[in-house]
Amino acid sequence: MNKNLQIEIDELNKLIEWFESPDFNIEEAIDKFKVAEKLADKIGEDLKNLKNEVSVIKKNFDSKSL
Amino acid sequence: MENQLISVSDFIALANQTFEYAYPTVAIEGEVSSFKINSGKYVFFDIKDNESSLGCFMSVWQLRVPIEDGMKVIVIASPKLTKWGKFSLTVQTVKPSGEGSLKKSFEILKDKLAKEGLFDEDRKRPIPYPPQSIGVISSTQAAGYADFIKILNERWGGVSVETANVQVQGDVAADQIISALKYFNGLSQMPEVIAIVRGGGSADDLSVFNDELLVREIAASRIPVLVGVGHEIDESLADLVADRSASTPSNAAQILVPDRIDAAKNLQYKFEQLTNIFISKIELLESSHQDLLLSSLRRIENGFENIESKYNGTRALLTVLNPRNILERGYAILRGKLAEDEIIEIETNQFKIKAEIKEIYE
Repeated sequence: MNKNLQIEIDELNKLIEWFESPDFNIEEAIDKFKVAEKLADKIGEDLKNLKNEVSVIKKNFDSKSL
Repeated sequence: MENQLISVSDFIALANQTFEYAYPTVAIEGEVSSFKINSGKYVFFDIKDNESSLGCFMSVWQLRVPIEDGMKVIVIASPKLTKWGKFSLTVQTVKPSGEGSLKKSFEILKDKLAKEGLFDEDRKRPIPYPPQSIGVISSTQAAGYADFIKILNERWGGVSVETANVQVQGDVAADQIISALKYFNGLSQMPEVIAIVRGGGSADDLSVFNDELLVREIAASRIPVLVGVGHEIDESLADLVADRSASTPSNAAQILVPDRIDAAKNLQYKFEQLTNIFISKIELLESSHQDLLLSSLRRIENGFENIESKYNGTRALLTVLNPRNILERGYAILRGKLAEDEIIEIETNQFKIKAEIKEIYE
Protein backbone atom coordinates (compact mmCIF):
# COMPACT_ATOMS: atom_id res chain seq x y z
CA MET A 1 0.00 0.00 0.00
CA ASN A 2 2.83 2.32 0.88
CA LYS A 3 4.44 1.58 -2.45
CA ASN A 4 1.28 2.70 -4.21
CA LEU A 5 1.17 5.85 -2.11
CA GLN A 6 4.76 6.67 -3.01
CA ILE A 7 4.08 5.89 -6.67
CA GLU A 8 1.05 8.18 -6.58
CA ILE A 9 3.07 11.01 -5.01
CA ASP A 10 5.77 10.53 -7.67
CA GLU A 11 3.10 10.57 -10.41
CA LEU A 12 1.69 13.82 -9.07
CA ASN A 13 5.17 15.35 -9.02
CA LYS A 14 5.68 14.25 -12.65
CA LEU A 15 2.39 15.87 -13.65
CA ILE A 16 3.44 19.13 -11.99
CA GLU A 17 6.77 18.93 -13.87
CA TRP A 18 4.88 18.42 -17.15
CA PHE A 19 2.78 21.52 -16.53
CA GLU A 20 6.00 23.50 -15.99
CA SER A 21 7.82 21.96 -18.96
CA PRO A 22 7.95 23.08 -22.61
CA ASP A 23 5.90 19.94 -23.45
CA PHE A 24 2.82 21.66 -22.01
CA ASN A 25 -0.03 21.98 -24.49
CA ILE A 26 -3.59 23.00 -23.83
CA GLU A 27 -5.13 19.95 -25.55
CA GLU A 28 -3.51 17.46 -23.14
CA ALA A 29 -3.51 19.78 -20.15
CA ILE A 30 -7.20 19.46 -19.37
CA ASP A 31 -7.05 15.65 -19.18
CA LYS A 32 -3.84 15.71 -17.19
CA PHE A 33 -5.29 18.22 -14.75
CA LYS A 34 -8.28 15.91 -14.14
CA VAL A 35 -5.87 12.99 -13.48
CA ALA A 36 -3.88 15.16 -11.03
CA GLU A 37 -7.06 16.18 -9.24
CA LYS A 38 -8.09 12.53 -8.73
CA LEU A 39 -4.57 11.57 -7.63
CA ALA A 40 -4.45 14.35 -5.06
CA ASP A 41 -7.79 13.19 -3.60
CA LYS A 42 -6.59 9.56 -3.46
CA ILE A 43 -3.28 10.47 -1.81
CA GLY A 44 -5.11 12.62 0.73
CA GLU A 45 -7.40 9.71 1.62
CA ASP A 46 -4.47 7.25 1.84
CA LEU A 47 -2.54 9.62 4.10
CA LYS A 48 -5.50 9.72 6.49
CA ASN A 49 -6.33 6.02 6.52
CA LEU A 50 -3.16 3.97 5.87
CA LYS A 51 -1.95 1.83 8.78
CA ASN A 52 1.33 0.03 9.33
CA GLU A 53 1.46 -3.76 9.53
CA VAL A 54 3.43 -4.61 12.67
CA SER A 55 4.30 -8.22 13.48
CA VAL A 56 6.68 -9.94 15.88
CA ILE A 57 8.80 -12.73 14.41
CA LYS A 58 8.09 -16.07 16.05
CA LYS A 59 11.69 -17.07 16.52
CA ASN A 60 14.08 -17.41 19.42
CA PHE A 61 17.17 -15.34 18.77
CA ASP A 62 19.19 -16.97 21.51
CA SER A 63 22.47 -17.96 19.83
CA LYS A 64 22.22 -21.48 21.28
CA SER A 65 18.90 -22.08 19.55
CA LEU A 66 20.13 -21.01 16.10
CA MET B 1 38.86 -45.13 58.57
CA GLU B 2 41.62 -45.27 56.05
CA ASN B 3 41.84 -42.83 53.18
CA GLN B 4 41.14 -44.29 49.77
CA LEU B 5 44.23 -44.34 47.63
CA ILE B 6 43.76 -42.67 44.28
CA SER B 7 46.03 -41.47 41.49
CA VAL B 8 47.00 -37.83 40.94
CA SER B 9 44.88 -37.70 37.80
CA ASP B 10 41.89 -39.15 39.61
CA PHE B 11 42.28 -36.59 42.38
CA ILE B 12 42.35 -33.75 39.88
CA ALA B 13 39.29 -35.20 38.13
CA LEU B 14 37.55 -35.53 41.50
CA ALA B 15 38.44 -31.97 42.47
CA ASN B 16 37.09 -30.70 39.16
CA GLN B 17 33.85 -32.68 39.63
CA THR B 18 33.50 -31.09 43.05
CA PHE B 19 34.05 -27.62 41.62
CA GLU B 20 31.60 -28.30 38.83
CA TYR B 21 28.97 -29.40 41.32
CA ALA B 22 29.58 -26.67 43.88
CA TYR B 23 30.45 -23.75 41.57
CA PRO B 24 29.40 -24.45 37.96
CA THR B 25 29.99 -20.76 37.29
CA VAL B 26 31.06 -17.91 39.51
CA ALA B 27 31.04 -14.15 38.96
CA ILE B 28 34.14 -12.55 40.41
CA GLU B 29 35.08 -8.90 40.43
CA GLY B 30 38.71 -7.82 40.53
CA GLU B 31 41.52 -5.92 38.86
CA VAL B 32 43.30 -7.30 35.80
CA SER B 33 47.04 -7.86 35.80
CA SER B 34 49.55 -9.72 33.59
CA PHE B 35 47.13 -9.60 30.64
CA LYS B 36 48.49 -11.34 27.53
CA ILE B 37 47.29 -13.06 24.37
CA ASN B 38 49.28 -16.12 23.23
CA SER B 39 49.49 -17.16 19.57
CA GLY B 40 46.53 -14.90 18.81
CA LYS B 41 44.25 -17.56 20.28
CA TYR B 42 44.51 -17.81 24.06
CA VAL B 43 44.02 -15.08 26.63
CA PHE B 44 45.72 -15.23 30.01
CA PHE B 45 45.43 -12.77 32.86
CA ASP B 46 45.25 -12.60 36.63
CA ILE B 47 42.39 -11.11 38.56
CA LYS B 48 43.25 -9.76 41.97
CA ASP B 49 42.20 -7.71 44.95
CA ASN B 50 44.28 -6.30 47.81
CA GLU B 51 45.16 -9.71 49.23
CA SER B 52 44.66 -12.44 46.62
CA SER B 53 45.11 -13.28 42.98
CA LEU B 54 43.58 -15.87 40.59
CA GLY B 55 44.78 -17.01 37.17
CA CYS B 56 42.27 -16.73 34.32
CA PHE B 57 42.16 -18.35 30.89
CA MET B 58 39.83 -17.85 27.93
CA SER B 59 39.74 -18.11 24.13
CA VAL B 60 40.36 -14.91 22.24
CA TRP B 61 36.97 -15.10 20.46
CA GLN B 62 35.25 -14.91 23.84
CA LEU B 63 36.89 -11.56 24.49
CA ARG B 64 34.18 -9.12 23.38
CA VAL B 65 35.58 -5.91 24.84
CA PRO B 66 39.15 -4.66 25.21
CA ILE B 67 40.79 -5.50 28.52
CA GLU B 68 44.08 -4.26 29.86
CA ASP B 69 46.08 -4.27 33.07
CA GLY B 70 44.68 -2.17 35.88
CA MET B 71 41.10 -2.40 34.58
CA LYS B 72 38.38 -3.44 37.00
CA VAL B 73 36.39 -6.32 35.53
CA ILE B 74 33.73 -8.89 36.31
CA VAL B 75 34.46 -12.39 35.03
CA ILE B 76 31.92 -15.16 34.67
CA ALA B 77 34.00 -18.32 34.93
CA SER B 78 34.25 -21.95 35.97
CA PRO B 79 36.97 -22.92 38.47
CA LYS B 80 39.32 -25.63 37.29
CA LEU B 81 42.38 -27.50 38.48
CA THR B 82 44.76 -28.19 35.60
CA LYS B 83 46.67 -31.43 35.17
CA TRP B 84 49.74 -29.59 36.38
CA GLY B 85 47.95 -28.86 39.65
CA LYS B 86 47.49 -25.23 38.92
CA PHE B 87 44.19 -23.66 39.87
CA SER B 88 42.65 -21.31 37.32
CA LEU B 89 39.37 -19.81 36.17
CA THR B 90 38.10 -20.77 32.72
CA VAL B 91 36.40 -17.55 31.72
CA GLN B 92 33.20 -17.44 29.66
CA THR B 93 32.72 -13.70 29.70
CA VAL B 94 34.67 -10.75 30.96
CA LYS B 95 33.41 -7.19 31.02
CA PRO B 96 34.66 -3.94 32.48
CA SER B 97 33.18 -2.96 35.80
CA GLY B 98 32.70 0.56 37.04
CA GLU B 99 32.52 3.80 35.11
CA GLY B 100 36.27 4.26 34.72
CA SER B 101 36.89 0.80 33.26
CA LEU B 102 33.85 0.97 30.98
CA LYS B 103 35.05 4.30 29.62
CA LYS B 104 38.58 3.08 29.16
CA SER B 105 37.44 -0.08 27.37
CA PHE B 106 35.12 2.02 25.19
CA GLU B 107 37.93 4.38 24.20
CA ILE B 108 40.37 1.54 23.36
CA LEU B 109 37.83 -0.24 21.13
CA LYS B 110 36.65 3.02 19.56
CA ASP B 111 40.23 3.87 18.63
CA LYS B 112 40.86 0.39 17.22
CA LEU B 113 37.70 0.30 15.08
CA ALA B 114 38.20 3.88 13.91
CA LYS B 115 41.67 2.92 12.65
CA GLU B 116 40.04 0.11 10.65
CA GLY B 117 37.76 2.72 9.03
CA LEU B 118 34.52 1.27 10.41
CA PHE B 119 33.21 4.70 11.38
CA ASP B 120 34.20 6.44 8.13
CA GLU B 121 31.53 8.67 6.63
CA ASP B 122 32.00 7.19 3.15
CA ARG B 123 30.82 3.80 4.47
CA LYS B 124 27.44 5.24 5.41
CA ARG B 125 24.54 4.34 3.13
CA PRO B 126 21.36 6.36 2.70
CA ILE B 127 18.30 5.19 4.59
CA PRO B 128 15.31 4.71 2.22
CA TYR B 129 12.73 7.40 2.89
CA PRO B 130 10.10 6.33 3.58
CA PRO B 131 10.90 2.61 3.56
CA GLN B 132 8.27 0.07 2.58
CA SER B 133 9.57 -2.43 5.09
CA ILE B 134 11.48 -2.15 8.37
CA GLY B 135 13.18 -4.91 10.36
CA VAL B 136 13.13 -3.85 14.01
CA ILE B 137 15.49 -5.34 16.57
CA SER B 138 14.32 -4.58 20.09
CA SER B 139 12.67 -5.97 23.17
CA THR B 140 8.92 -5.85 22.68
CA GLN B 141 8.61 -5.32 26.45
CA ALA B 142 10.79 -2.20 26.40
CA ALA B 143 9.31 1.30 26.67
CA GLY B 144 11.66 2.42 23.89
CA TYR B 145 10.09 -0.09 21.48
CA ALA B 146 6.57 1.07 22.39
CA ASP B 147 7.62 4.70 21.75
CA PHE B 148 9.13 3.75 18.39
CA ILE B 149 5.99 1.94 17.17
CA LYS B 150 3.68 4.68 18.52
CA ILE B 151 5.51 7.47 16.69
CA LEU B 152 5.85 5.34 13.55
CA ASN B 153 2.08 4.70 13.46
CA GLU B 154 1.22 8.31 14.21
CA ARG B 155 3.44 9.65 11.47
CA TRP B 156 2.97 7.29 8.53
CA GLY B 157 1.14 4.21 7.26
CA GLY B 158 1.49 1.32 4.87
CA VAL B 159 4.88 0.16 6.16
CA SER B 160 5.52 -3.53 6.86
CA VAL B 161 7.26 -3.73 10.25
CA GLU B 162 8.75 -7.04 11.40
CA THR B 163 10.17 -7.13 14.90
CA ALA B 164 12.86 -9.48 16.17
CA ASN B 165 12.21 -9.69 19.90
CA VAL B 166 15.59 -9.84 21.65
CA GLN B 167 17.11 -8.91 24.97
CA VAL B 168 18.64 -5.46 24.81
CA GLN B 169 20.71 -5.68 27.97
CA GLY B 170 22.57 -8.38 29.83
CA ASP B 171 25.07 -11.05 28.88
CA VAL B 172 23.12 -12.64 26.01
CA ALA B 173 21.88 -9.38 24.48
CA ALA B 174 24.77 -8.81 22.06
CA ASP B 175 24.57 -12.37 20.70
CA GLN B 176 20.79 -12.15 20.28
CA ILE B 177 21.05 -8.83 18.42
CA ILE B 178 23.77 -10.34 16.21
CA SER B 179 21.49 -13.34 15.50
CA ALA B 180 18.63 -10.98 14.58
CA LEU B 181 20.92 -9.02 12.23
CA LYS B 182 21.98 -12.28 10.57
CA TYR B 183 18.33 -13.35 10.32
CA PHE B 184 17.22 -10.19 8.49
CA ASN B 185 20.28 -10.27 6.23
CA GLY B 186 19.56 -13.88 5.33
CA LEU B 187 15.97 -13.34 4.20
CA SER B 188 15.15 -13.66 0.50
CA GLN B 189 12.90 -10.60 0.90
CA MET B 190 15.08 -8.42 3.07
CA PRO B 191 13.62 -5.35 4.79
CA GLU B 192 14.78 -2.04 3.33
CA VAL B 193 16.20 -0.91 6.65
CA ILE B 194 17.00 -2.37 10.06
CA ALA B 195 16.25 -0.31 13.16
CA ILE B 196 17.90 -1.30 16.42
CA VAL B 197 16.04 0.47 19.21
CA ARG B 198 15.98 0.62 22.99
CA GLY B 199 15.46 3.35 25.55
CA GLY B 200 18.02 4.87 27.87
CA GLY B 201 19.73 3.12 30.72
CA SER B 202 22.83 2.99 32.84
CA ALA B 203 26.28 2.80 31.26
CA ASP B 204 26.32 -0.88 32.17
CA ASP B 205 22.88 -1.49 30.59
CA LEU B 206 23.99 0.18 27.38
CA SER B 207 27.44 -1.48 27.31
CA VAL B 208 26.00 -4.20 25.06
CA PHE B 209 26.05 -1.64 22.24
CA ASN B 210 29.82 -1.37 22.65
CA ASP B 211 30.33 -5.08 22.02
CA GLU B 212 33.00 -5.56 19.38
CA LEU B 213 31.29 -8.46 17.59
CA LEU B 214 27.98 -6.59 17.49
CA VAL B 215 29.66 -3.46 16.11
CA ARG B 216 31.34 -5.58 13.41
CA GLU B 217 28.03 -7.31 12.56
CA ILE B 218 26.33 -3.92 12.09
CA ALA B 219 29.21 -2.87 9.84
CA ALA B 220 28.81 -6.07 7.81
CA SER B 221 25.04 -5.77 7.36
CA ARG B 222 23.90 -5.72 3.73
CA ILE B 223 20.82 -3.81 4.86
CA PRO B 224 21.31 -0.19 6.00
CA VAL B 225 21.13 0.02 9.79
CA LEU B 226 19.63 2.78 11.92
CA VAL B 227 20.52 2.68 15.61
CA GLY B 228 18.25 4.48 18.04
CA VAL B 229 19.56 3.64 21.48
CA GLY B 230 19.36 5.53 24.73
CA HIS B 231 18.97 9.21 25.32
CA GLU B 232 20.78 12.00 23.60
CA ILE B 233 23.79 12.08 25.90
CA ASP B 234 24.59 8.40 25.32
CA GLU B 235 26.80 7.53 22.39
CA SER B 236 27.68 3.92 21.70
CA LEU B 237 30.00 2.30 19.19
CA ALA B 238 26.86 0.89 17.54
CA ASP B 239 25.78 4.51 16.97
CA LEU B 240 29.13 5.32 15.38
CA VAL B 241 29.20 2.33 13.03
CA ALA B 242 25.53 2.52 11.97
CA ASP B 243 24.53 4.10 8.68
CA ARG B 244 22.41 6.52 10.68
CA SER B 245 22.09 7.15 14.36
CA ALA B 246 19.05 8.49 16.21
CA SER B 247 19.13 10.10 19.62
CA THR B 248 16.11 8.15 20.91
CA PRO B 249 13.70 5.45 19.64
CA SER B 250 11.12 8.19 18.94
CA ASN B 251 13.73 10.09 16.94
CA ALA B 252 14.47 6.88 15.00
CA ALA B 253 10.80 6.72 13.92
CA GLN B 254 10.94 10.41 12.93
CA ILE B 255 14.01 9.77 10.80
CA LEU B 256 12.44 6.77 9.06
CA VAL B 257 9.06 8.13 7.98
CA PRO B 258 7.55 11.52 7.15
CA ASP B 259 4.74 13.06 9.17
CA ARG B 260 1.41 12.39 7.44
CA ILE B 261 0.09 15.84 8.54
CA ASP B 262 3.07 17.57 6.87
CA ALA B 263 2.63 15.32 3.83
CA ALA B 264 -1.05 16.28 3.54
CA LYS B 265 -0.13 19.99 3.78
CA ASN B 266 2.57 19.48 1.18
CA LEU B 267 0.07 17.68 -1.06
CA GLN B 268 -2.37 20.58 -0.77
CA TYR B 269 0.44 23.02 -1.60
CA LYS B 270 1.45 20.95 -4.63
CA PHE B 271 -2.08 20.83 -5.97
CA GLU B 272 -2.48 24.58 -5.50
CA GLN B 273 0.85 25.03 -7.28
CA LEU B 274 -0.40 22.85 -10.15
CA THR B 275 -3.66 24.84 -10.39
CA ASN B 276 -1.74 28.14 -10.41
CA ILE B 277 0.62 26.91 -13.13
CA PHE B 278 -2.35 25.78 -15.22
CA ILE B 279 -4.16 29.12 -14.83
CA SER B 280 -1.05 31.15 -15.62
CA LYS B 281 -0.36 29.03 -18.73
CA ILE B 282 -3.95 29.59 -19.96
CA GLU B 283 -3.61 33.35 -19.32
CA LEU B 284 -0.31 33.34 -21.16
CA LEU B 285 -1.89 31.53 -24.13
CA GLU B 286 -4.84 33.95 -24.12
CA SER B 287 -2.50 36.89 -24.03
CA SER B 288 -0.34 35.55 -26.85
CA HIS B 289 -3.45 34.91 -29.00
CA GLN B 290 -4.61 38.48 -28.39
CA ASP B 291 -1.18 39.76 -29.38
CA LEU B 292 -1.30 37.66 -32.54
CA LEU B 293 -4.75 39.01 -33.43
CA LEU B 294 -3.71 42.60 -32.81
CA SER B 295 -0.59 42.18 -34.89
CA SER B 296 -2.65 40.72 -37.79
CA LEU B 297 -5.08 43.62 -37.63
CA ARG B 298 -2.16 46.05 -37.61
CA ARG B 299 -0.67 44.37 -40.69
CA ILE B 300 -4.03 44.59 -42.54
CA GLU B 301 -4.38 48.24 -41.51
CA ASN B 302 -0.87 48.99 -42.72
CA GLY B 303 -1.68 47.26 -46.02
CA PHE B 304 -4.72 49.46 -46.48
CA GLU B 305 -2.69 52.55 -45.68
CA ASN B 306 -0.12 51.61 -48.30
CA ILE B 307 -2.76 51.05 -50.96
CA GLU B 308 -4.41 54.37 -50.11
CA SER B 309 -1.09 56.16 -50.24
CA LYS B 310 -0.26 54.65 -53.64
CA TYR B 311 -3.72 55.55 -54.93
CA ASN B 312 -3.33 59.12 -53.78
CA GLY B 313 0.09 59.39 -55.47
CA THR B 314 -1.26 58.02 -58.71
CA ARG B 315 -4.22 60.30 -58.45
CA ALA B 316 -1.97 63.34 -57.95
CA LEU B 317 0.14 62.33 -60.91
CA LEU B 318 -2.94 61.90 -63.07
CA THR B 319 -4.15 65.29 -61.95
CA VAL B 320 -0.84 66.84 -62.93
CA LEU B 321 -0.91 65.08 -66.28
CA ASN B 322 -4.59 65.85 -67.08
CA PRO B 323 -4.63 68.07 -70.27
CA ARG B 324 -7.73 69.86 -68.95
CA ASN B 325 -5.65 71.20 -66.08
CA ILE B 326 -3.01 72.42 -68.57
CA LEU B 327 -5.72 74.20 -70.59
CA GLU B 328 -6.89 75.80 -67.34
CA ARG B 329 -3.45 77.28 -66.98
CA GLY B 330 -4.00 79.15 -70.35
CA TYR B 331 -2.58 76.71 -72.83
CA ALA B 332 -4.47 75.49 -75.98
CA ILE B 333 -4.53 72.33 -78.06
CA LEU B 334 -4.21 72.58 -81.86
CA ARG B 335 -5.67 69.84 -84.08
CA GLY B 336 -5.41 69.56 -87.86
CA LYS B 337 -2.78 69.70 -90.61
CA LEU B 338 -0.03 72.25 -90.06
CA ALA B 339 0.08 74.00 -93.53
CA GLU B 340 -0.87 77.36 -94.95
CA ASP B 341 -4.58 77.80 -95.85
CA GLU B 342 -5.52 74.72 -93.85
CA ILE B 343 -8.35 74.85 -91.33
CA ILE B 344 -7.33 73.76 -87.81
CA GLU B 345 -9.19 73.31 -84.56
CA ILE B 346 -8.05 75.22 -81.48
CA GLU B 347 -9.26 73.99 -78.05
CA THR B 348 -8.91 76.25 -75.02
CA ASN B 349 -10.18 75.93 -71.52
CA GLN B 350 -13.53 77.36 -72.48
CA PHE B 351 -13.86 77.16 -76.30
CA LYS B 352 -13.26 75.13 -79.43
CA ILE B 353 -12.29 77.41 -82.35
CA LYS B 354 -11.87 76.74 -86.08
CA ALA B 355 -9.14 78.92 -87.68
CA GLU B 356 -7.32 79.19 -91.03
CA ILE B 357 -3.52 79.10 -91.16
CA LYS B 358 -2.25 82.20 -92.98
CA GLU B 359 1.45 81.85 -92.56
CA ILE B 360 3.90 79.47 -90.95
CA TYR B 361 7.28 80.72 -89.74
CA GLU B 362 9.86 79.67 -87.27
